[in-house]
Amino acid sequence: MKRRIGFFDFTGCEGCQLTIMNLEDHLLQVLQLVEVVEFRELMSETSANLDIAFVEGSITRAADRQRLQDIRHRSKILVALGACADNGGINLLGSHQDVSTLRQQVYACDAEHLLTETPVPLHKVVNVDYSIPGCPIDGQEFLAVLQALLLERDPELPNFAVCVECKLAEYPCSFDYGEICLGPVTRAGCRAICIEGGDRCRGCRGLVDNPRTTPYHQILEEHGLSVEEILEQYRTFNIGDPQ
Amino acid sequence: MGQTELLRFVRSLLQAYDVIAPRRKKGRIVLDNLSDATDLELHFPPSVHSPKKFLFPHWDELFRFRLDGNVLLKTEKSSPPRILFGMHPCDLHAVKILDDCLFEGETDSTYRAKRESTLLIGTDCVPDEHCFCTSLGTDRIANGFDLFFHHRDNGYLIQTGSERGHRLLTDHAPATMAGPREAPLALQLKECENRLQFPVESLPLLMEDAYDDPIWEELGKNCLGCGSCTLLCPSCYCFNVQDKLDLNLKEGQRVRTWDSCQFDQFAQVNSGDNFRSGQADRQRHRFYRKYKYLWDKYQRTACVGCGRCSRECLANIKPTEVLNKLFNQAPLPQPDSSPGSEYQPQMARVEQIKELSNNDRLFRLKVPQKFTFQPGSFLQLSVFGLGEAPFSFASPSDDSGEIELVVRRAGTLTQSLHRVQCGDRIGIRGPFGNGFPLDRMPGKDLLLIAGGRGLIALRSLMLTLLTDRERYGRITLLCGARSIDTLLFQDDLLSWHHSGLLDCRFAVNEQNNRWGIPAVDVSLLFRDLEINASRTIAAVSGPPEMYRQINPLLFRLGLADEDIYLNLERHMKCGLGKCGKCRINNICVCECGPVFAYSSVKHLAEAIER
Repeated sequence: MKRRIGFFDFTGCEGCQLTIMNLEDHLLQVLQLVEVVEFRELMSETSANLDIAFVEGSITRAADRQRLQDIRHRSKILVALGACADNGGINLLGSHQDVSTLRQQVYACDAEHLLTETPVPLHKVVNVDYSIPGCPIDGQEFLAVLQALLLERDPELPNFAVCVECKLAEYPCSFDYGEICLGPVTRAGCRAICIEGGDRCRGCRGLVDNPRTTPYHQILEEHGLSVEEILEQYRTFNIGDPQ
Repeated sequence: MGQTELLRFVRSLLQAYDVIAPRRKKGRIVLDNLSDATDLELHFPPSVHSPKKFLFPHWDELFRFRLDGNVLLKTEKSSPPRILFGMHPCDLHAVKILDDCLFEGETDSTYRAKRESTLLIGTDCVPDEHCFCTSLGTDRIANGFDLFFHHRDNGYLIQTGSERGHRLLTDHAPATMAGPREAPLALQLKECENRLQFPVESLPLLMEDAYDDPIWEELGKNCLGCGSCTLLCPSCYCFNVQDKLDLNLKEGQRVRTWDSCQFDQFAQVNSGDNFRSGQADRQRHRFYRKYKYLWDKYQRTACVGCGRCSRECLANIKPTEVLNKLFNQAPLPQPDSSPGSEYQPQMARVEQIKELSNNDRLFRLKVPQKFTFQPGSFLQLSVFGLGEAPFSFASPSDDSGEIELVVRRAGTLTQSLHRVQCGDRIGIRGPFGNGFPLDRMPGKDLLLIAGGRGLIALRSLMLTLLTDRERYGRITLLCGARSIDTLLFQDDLLSWHHSGLLDCRFAVNEQNNRWGIPAVDVSLLFRDLEINASRTIAAVSGPPEMYRQINPLLFRLGLADEDIYLNLERHMKCGLGKCGKCRINNICVCECGPVFAYSSVKHLAEAIER
């Protein structure tokens, strides 16, 4: 019997779900393996029970918490889809400031109808079984995780840095252009598409298990960054406390 | 070959082969498919990846399988015929290292398929500030390519390195083949500023003492663990094997991907234990693999000095800096006594002189200070004004304070020694070297094989054995010479023969000799030899050609490589392992020999073969 899967979203840009819908070459094959029973971007049906729920976005309101708990309740496996769901992502960019100050800055009023709390990743609300990192996720990695789950195996993420992706693809190092790049401490798996596109790595996939922060910060300091500026680098995608 | 001909050659190649050549990509040189012959560029700095990218790629399918069944059998593995055009000498050396490792033992068929269908065309390089090939001797190469394009003013001088390369030229550049043959270009001198401050041969010795050096902790603290160094290394081949399933979850492929000893999980086992848990351990492992472990195995470094690792290291870890630091901080050993004394002889008094043959004279010397030595080791005899030469001990090491040496009259030094009278004083320096392993011999049967003057060292051994005869099993002496008159120590030989303490067998080439012994070669003495190979140690001492003849006979008797000891004397000039005159490939005879177990020299091409 085909496994029943669903896709859900909270606060986020829905880019991760879009990435999945963009897997056009593979979707028909995926549908041979699974039955999509809930996916707001595609269909109006809902389902009382699911084998796997893929959940995108961060939790910012009380109502979200309840809905997420409900999804958890209905699902055997819950997977955080993308950076916002995994660790809060860019939703947490302003989190070091008070929420009401932020609202004043953004809306120039208290904006009560837009009442939100400080965003949190899914695992602060419910038990998350697995995470697919990235902003957005990598489509091929999604397929690999789905394959593993269908075979009842633990999905594995690369535990080496984005530098490996660059070396394999023979991209020049961002540091050679005087750019600050988070590649040396960021989990690989993205094929370094940002570097390929001429940008630098901003760490959307989170840190590797054992980031070498001491030598890395030394290198950043040699490139003229202060401690505060170094911390700023990590804040873009809220990838953990480097201290 | 001029530019026009080169273009024609490459166009022709493109009809028949995938041609991989250096290309520009994002401002860098990478190896990639060439589609237009005019894009070929043969004067370029090192490329990002080496030919490893094509010969041993990062993603390499080993086989396909069905999830619920078997390995899917495929027709024999084959790769498209391919030419790697424009390989620098360092990269060609790196291919040899890959060959060593991947062809040894169970041949890696996936590598082999690519290697066999690929032709390698070398070209001269332009070293940059990270290159240090000149320190490793990998800046030029004599073989291991199919063709090599040497730059010169008006084009290229092409060197063929294989039959395949020759055919390639015949088929695709007939005009060049029809042209005149030319002498090789003079060796061009390359200078790399980045260099080792010591000869490469010292590396294994340097590394030997460096295992616990604090430098590895220092490297570990600086290293990002990103693995760039090993991924880009042209000779790092450590890999992981993974299964990649097709989306239908029915079939999949087992693939080989590059791995790196710098990654956290490389040496981790299922329990979570990690056998190289710190980055310092991992960096040390990398350096030992490059400069020690594979040297021990293949007598070459696994580094070719291409500089790729340091070129792309964000943490600026440079092999030359690390190795030079190790070298420079290695303490300078203090001389044993007063400076210079290691070269200065001591004076010994001639006690007795005895004619052994027309040209050989035995000298018994009273030494100023008693010393002990092993049979097979040697001493330097010195005559002021003429110099010094090495001589084997002919006597056993005892506490008489006297030693015996045999001097054959040959050159000026030995002629002068033959004029020495009893009571004169001559210089001695030593003893030096390692002799026969007396500690291994008690309880064993001993087979001593002497050829000509090789008997001198074996007399020292034999007399040592006979002082304590009952400690040893059967002793057999096979002794060969050109004629009876050249047989040294005839009195000793006859007395041993009559003593019944050992089995003596003689052979001389001289017909109808006065001893009435068969005029045969020493190898014929093996014919009715009965040996219990498992309890026998052989000691062989003779001229170089004798080993080539005798070794196979010993193997046939069933003797193990480590039970065959050979006296491989060379011209041991300084005796201190320094002057290099007695080198056999990478080892100094005076330090490691002159007596060697066969097992420790069989990999050395210069030991017995030449």
